[in-house]
Amino acid sequence: MSSAWWRRGVLAAGGFAFLAATVDPGVAQGPPPGFSPLDKTNVKASKQDESLRPHATPPTVTPVEKIPVDKLRLPPGFRAEIWSSGHPGGRTMVRGTKGTIFMGTRLIGRVYAIVDKDGKREVKTLLQGLTQPNGLAFKDGSLYVFAIHRVLRYDNIEDKLDNPGDPVDLTDKFGLPDTIHHNWKYVAFGPDGKLYVQVGANCNICEVNPGTHAQIRRYNPDGSGMEIVARGVRNTVGFDWHPVTKELWFTDNGRDWAGDAGPEDELNRIAKGREGANYGFPYCHAQGLPDPDIRVPNPCAGTVLPAALLGPHSAGLGIIFYTGNMFPPAYKNVAFIARRGSWNRSQKYGYDVVVARTSGGKATIEPFMTGLLDTKKNEFYGRPTYLLQMPDGALLVSDEQNGAIYRITYGPKTAGK
Amino acid sequence: MRLFDRAWLRPLALALAAAIHSGDPAIGQSLSLEERIAQCKACHGEDGNSRLEKIPSIAGQPEFFIVNQLVLMREGVRRIEAMSAAVKGLTDADIEALAKFFANLPARASDEPIDPQLVKRGGELATKLRCGSCHLPNFAGHQQMPRLAGQRVDYLIASLKEYRDNTRSGADTLMSVVVQGLSDADLAALAHYAASR
Repeated sequence: MSSAWWRRGVLAAGGFAFLAATVDPGVAQGPPPGFSPLDKTNVKASKQDESLRPHATPPTVTPVEKIPVDKLRLPPGFRAEIWSSGHPGGRTMVRGTKGTIFMGTRLIGRVYAIVDKDGKREVKTLLQGLTQPNGLAFKDGSLYVFAIHRVLRYDNIEDKLDNPGDPVDLTDKFGLPDTIHHNWKYVAFGPDGKLYVQVGANCNICEVNPGTHAQIRRYNPDGSGMEIVARGVRNTVGFDWHPVTKELWFTDNGRDWAGDAGPEDELNRIAKGREGANYGFPYCHAQGLPDPDIRVPNPCAGTVLPAALLGPHSAGLGIIFYTGNMFPPAYKNVAFIARRGSWNRSQKYGYDVVVARTSGGKATIEPFMTGLLDTKKNEFYGRPTYLLQMPDGALLVSDEQNGAIYRITYGPKTAGK
Repeated sequence: MRLFDRAWLRPLALALAAAIHSGDPAIGQSLSLEERIAQCKACHGEDGNSRLEKIPSIAGQPEFFIVNQLVLMREGVRRIEAMSAAVKGLTDADIEALAKFFANLPARASDEPIDPQLVKRGGELATKLRCGSCHLPNFAGHQQMPRLAGQRVDYLIASLKEYRDNTRSGADTLMSVVVQGLSDADLAALAHYAASR
């Protein structure tokens, strides 16, 4: 080994005093407790394959030629193209008023800003080193970033994408639990101007304190006026408001290790005047199944049952109601739901985007974007996570596995996009 | 590199690794793959199997595991003081090349003494905790889950304590619950068992 280069390094550094200065200041050191000690998972009793484990998300850039856009299948007249790529782990998407697409992530800890430059997308890493900054919302020029319990507001962010500066720290005002598991946030502003915030159950299956976990909350944008709008929600990872009824619809991921068949994930609605209703966790799942590991009398009494089931372990994440004019009228006001795909199931399931047609508090589910799952080989090629409607009516779909966004359009091919 | 094969030299080795980049940012930008590999070997061992106290062996780790850890360290999510300078400025391509190199080296156990009593108790605990479900039954690791077989005992004990006490930065939540409530003696038993595989 030639050692000249490292000797040079040592000499240039002038000793060892720099060691203490190698960690960036300003970020909390060491995570808080993540997972509830009350978890009652019983893998043996599930009779499932005990070697099932979550799939890894690549933390590095997927080359454009390896992004599986050619595998995507859509109803006639729709087409998909790669809209942007090179943002590993990119999941949630919100659009700023000046057109910036902000993307949240989980383990890689980044927030991206994607801007249009000369008809192409330019990806900037806006923030780095956060703990699972999945929750993003945009209002009045400000980007709200939720990273587990931390809440940071970046004002006039679209004017300073290259140097976002210090945020307004709202963490103490929101007072969210610092438990990590199932608390990579989803947040969104409602039609009432309130900020709606997910607080998941920090376990697979456990008793939770209903005053702190397994909820959807809403706040004033400054973190005041907290109200619980839904209880018994294991882990909602996406919600949106029906464009006509203004009611909140949310996805909820079912528990693991209770069989390959489910309990299925849920699509739920908070009916008008029913804010604070109970959605069953941990006693009652899906269409009214008692939990096998935590047994109580009348487990489903008082529980609001789902509007639709989203499939076993399918991991329904982002949901948006489509209000654009590009797609055929049959898609007006229907919900699109991204299903990230299963891990706790021998035969893989999901990895697609489905349509939910809602009517009278119920919904029917039909396929929309498929092709990322090969059921014969039991292999997947991508994981749709979140959805965004663009001003022209096109639908953006994020693929976390490939760090890419697909643009879904309808009608004749549009040049340059 | 017999120079670093002694525990008392560990701080020096760490300092050297850190110095390489902090001293002159330009050096960090221009290192060849061979130079970067040599930099890793300075602490993690000539053959990727560490002889330094509490410094992990990286030979034979799953390629994806090495990529994932280096990215998380570069991003500042996994904060390890001794590594922060070394990972600064690494490109995805650098990281992928380093991971490939060390993943393909054979893993070899350290010369730390292994206590057969602890191995026996650790084996029983490992079955109960289902360690092999993620780390594979032979503890060779898989994707984002590290190889434990042949890892240094002192490093395994230190890591398990970090998980139990929630002082490990940037780690996912599942390991913490697996080892929650275990005693130091339990953790030592698990470490001896894993290292002996």
